[in-house]
Parts: sequence; structure tokens; C-alpha cells
Amino acid sequence: MAHIWPIGGGKGGSGKSFLASSMGHLLAKSGKKTLLIDLDLGAANLHTMVDVPYPEKCFSDFVCKKIPDLEDIVLQTPFSNLFLISGAHDNLDIANLQYEKKIKTLRAIAKLNYDYIILDLGAGTAFNTLDFFLASRNGIFITTPEPTSIENVYRLIRAIYLRRIRHFFSTNDFKALEKKVREHLGDDSFYKPEHIVSVIKKYFPEKYELIKKDFSFFRFKLILNQLRKQDNPLLGEQICKVIKKHLGISVEFAGNIAYDEHVHDAICQRVSFLERYPHTHAANDLRVLNRKMSNAFGEQLMLNYI
Amino acid sequence: MEKDFDQMNYYEILDVKPSASTAEIRSAYNEALQIYQPESLVSYSFFSREERNKILSLLEKAYLTLINEVQRDKYDTETNLKGSSGSAEKDAIIKKEPMNIFEINRQAFNSVARKNHTAELKTKISQSQLIKEILSRQEIKGADLKAIRNELGVDIETIHKETKIRLECLICIEADDREKLPAAVFLKGFVKAYLKSLCIESADVISALYMSSITTQKLT
Repeated sequence: MAHIWPIGGGKGGSGKSFLASSMGHLLAKSGKKTLLIDLDLGAANLHTMVDVPYPEKCFSDFVCKKIPDLEDIVLQTPFSNLFLISGAHDNLDIANLQYEKKIKTLRAIAKLNYDYIILDLGAGTAFNTLDFFLASRNGIFITTPEPTSIENVYRLIRAIYLRRIRHFFSTNDFKALEKKVREHLGDDSFYKPEHIVSVIKKYFPEKYELIKKDFSFFRFKLILNQLRKQDNPLLGEQICKVIKKHLGISVEFAGNIAYDEHVHDAICQRVSFLERYPHTHAANDLRVLNRKMSNAFGEQLMLNYI
Repeated sequence: MEKDFDQMNYYEILDVKPSASTAEIRSAYNEALQIYQPESLVSYSFFSREERNKILSLLEKAYLTLINEVQRDKYDTETNLKGSSGSAEKDAIIKKEPMNIFEINRQAFNSVARKNHTAELKTKISQSQLIKEILSRQEIKGADLKAIRNELGVDIETIHKETKIRLECLICIEADDREKLPAAVFLKGFVKAYLKSLCIESADVISALYMSSITTQKLT
């Protein structure tokens, strides 16, 4: 089964598509059959990053049943071993993908035959984004060292946490739980997952054990993008520490990617950054990250959708 | 999923081992402040204002308890935590391993912890009767300096780190060990730096007083 790496970041412009295309290039170059899926529904542009300016088929065709098999909308890119499912000409209402279609997509993704599948997700914390992110246990968070971006990545992590907890409860149970949380922490409780978990621990100890066990299988990673020279290089480690200590989720800090003006140049020229500027700091960071991550991920498990 | 912050013991709050030395505790506190202080980028938007204040006050309480040997011992016995400071730590101060110069994080030392530290000292100075009394004396001796330092709860190592004056030198000054005191030219500057690192405002005047007391004593 393919290794699936969902890439999410909460905030737009934090480098999700850049990371997805770069990782795709590196994995393809090392001989792995790699598929990039643009799941930034409604704001897709991964095709531009991998030099497929006029994609003939796109994700919408699959959703609208125009093309029944997900495999048939896969596009060739100019790079060997690298494939793409584009979202370029998606219908304008694609952002509001219905639940059944989302599940259908996830099932289809699980059946694809590739070594690596990278999901480029959109900004924000819509249910679609959360569910695609939770498709695999190997989700990658990306953020830049700016308060706006960090704020959104924390929101995303909390939203994902809550979404996963929600899986363990039926609708009625969850309502009962919600009521209990409000009773305990007041109506203005922040609806933070860590508060909810403390209530679950008290009133649903068996559920708590299940959730705890479930989360221990996740191998989340955090990448800090656009790190300038004056930024604190330890920021990523510290963020992971805060998440571990206060949310109880372990997120491993994978590494920094240096800020580089050349990334902008490469995107404007619509060429691969790694090929055009292979000797920059950022390119080097990407290679180190790729090497580290392809070794670090263990067993691949697709959640609940098979 | 783990324990709530307010249920952790002081060592867990600061992320140190129960056997940690004072220096380790201090650097852990500095690190924690970098994460939790209101301006910090790391925890931006993660906590509400009340949560952050609660965490910061807990951190401070933990830190102030653990750096004070007496209170730490008391806390350890109360909470049944073993591995208190005691003699092992004193050895550690003397047996210093050489340290790679590139590992010294100067920025961290000058950071917010420092700012908080200064403010804390200043309030303590304004509140302490003993310090006021000492500062109004006409004669200042090394023992008085030591008394001020003890009153503020700053240890000699911190002063050594900040002023970069040798530890032996500081000990001599405090002990009024006249044989080993440095030459007068240096001594005046040393005492001034010492007082400044304790945030005593009238450092100039006090160091002049100290010098005159020392020289008159030498003559007699």
C-alpha cells in the first residue's frame, strides 16, 4: 500500500503546495512512483508548480462521475515517476464536496497503486480538509515563523484533534458529552479539545483509553518553512513541546526550510525550484527533510476507509 | 491527554529531573519563559490570557521554590520527591567541565527572564528594610554586600556569570579577605559591577563608600 502524506497548514501561503511539489520531485527522483493529489478544493494550483499548465482531466471529472475510475484522471508530468491529479478545472462548487463523495474519494485513493501519495490540502479547517488530513497517520503540518501562521496551525491541530475524538462517539453520545463539558467548564468554555478530553477521562474512561491508544499510532510531523536568518531556529521544537505538554499529542519536529528568494523566482518561471536552484540553502533543507521523512515513517495505515 | 499543568509537580512544570542542579533549573526556567511569556511567538494564540497568567505564575512559584535550597528540601519532603540539591550540587559548581564556546546562548541569557528578574529585584529592594538600613550606613564592608545579596536571594554564581568577575574574587570581597583582595583600581570597578548586577541604583556612591571604608581599615 502507498505511503500517504497529507500536507496541511491552516494558513494560506505557508508553503503547502511548494512542499508537496518539492517532496514529489525528490521522491520521484529517487525512483519511487509518486502521485500528487491537489485537494485544495476550489483553490487548486499544484499543476502550475509541476509544470502541467493545461491539465486535460481533473478531480471534478471523478466527483461528477464523468470518469468513473480515479486512476484514469491521473496525469503525466514532465518528470519521470511523478504523476498528478489536478484540480485546475474543477467545478466552482467543488469546495463544498459532499460527505459521500469525500468518502468515495478516500476509498479510491486507498486503492491507488503508487509508492507515495502526497495530498496537498487547502487552508482553513473545513471538514473536508480535516478528513483528508486524517486519511493517513502520517500527516505533515507546515507553518512559517509568523504569529498569523502559527495561530492557524494551532487551530488546525485542535480541529483535527476534535474531529478524531468525534469519531469515537455517536451523535447522541457526543451531544451528551458536549453538555457535560459545558456543565463543567462553563458555557464560555473554549471548546478546546484538551478540556473535552479531561471530561472524557472522567466520565468515559474506556473511550479515553481507546482515544489515547489511537493517538499513539499517529506520526504527525511539523515543518517550519521560510525561516529567515534572524528567526529562532528552535521555534519548531518549542512548538512541538507546547503541543505535547498541553494537548498531549506528539508531533515530531521534522526540520526547518530556509527562506529563499529563489523560491519566488522558480515559481514565477514555472520551473522546479530543486532543479533550477539545487545549491541553495532551501534546496538543501528540502533534501535533508525528504531523506529524514522517507525513513521515519513506519507502517502505513489508511484509516477507516477501506 | 497528560496531566493538567496545575497538577504537575514543580519539576514537571519546569521539565527538569528531580536531581537537577540550580543552574539547570535556572536555564529550564529561562527556556520556559521563552515559550510562555506573552510576547512569545511559540505559544501565540495557544492560551487565553487567564490560562497564560496561571501558567506563568505557576512557573514562577516552581522556580522560586526550587532555586531556594531550604524551600526545595521542604518541598521535596512534602511531595516525597527524592534527589534534592545538597552537597552533590556544590561539588558540581567547583568541577566545571570546559564548555564549547559556540554552545553559549547569549541571547537566551539576555532575554525576558532577565527583564523580569530586574523588575523583581527592584521591588524587593524597595521593600526590604535591611537593605535600606545598609545603604544608609556611612561604612560599607564586604559582609554588607553579602547581606544585601542574601536578602535579594541572588546566588554568587549568578553575579559571577553576569559581571564576569572571577568567583574567587567575589568570595574574597564578600569575606573581607584583605590579603587576597584585588588591587584598588580593579576593586572599585568590581564592587560597582556587583552592585549594578543586583540593580542597586546608587552603585557609584556605595562603591565609593566601600573603597573609603576599605582604605581606612588598611591604614589602621
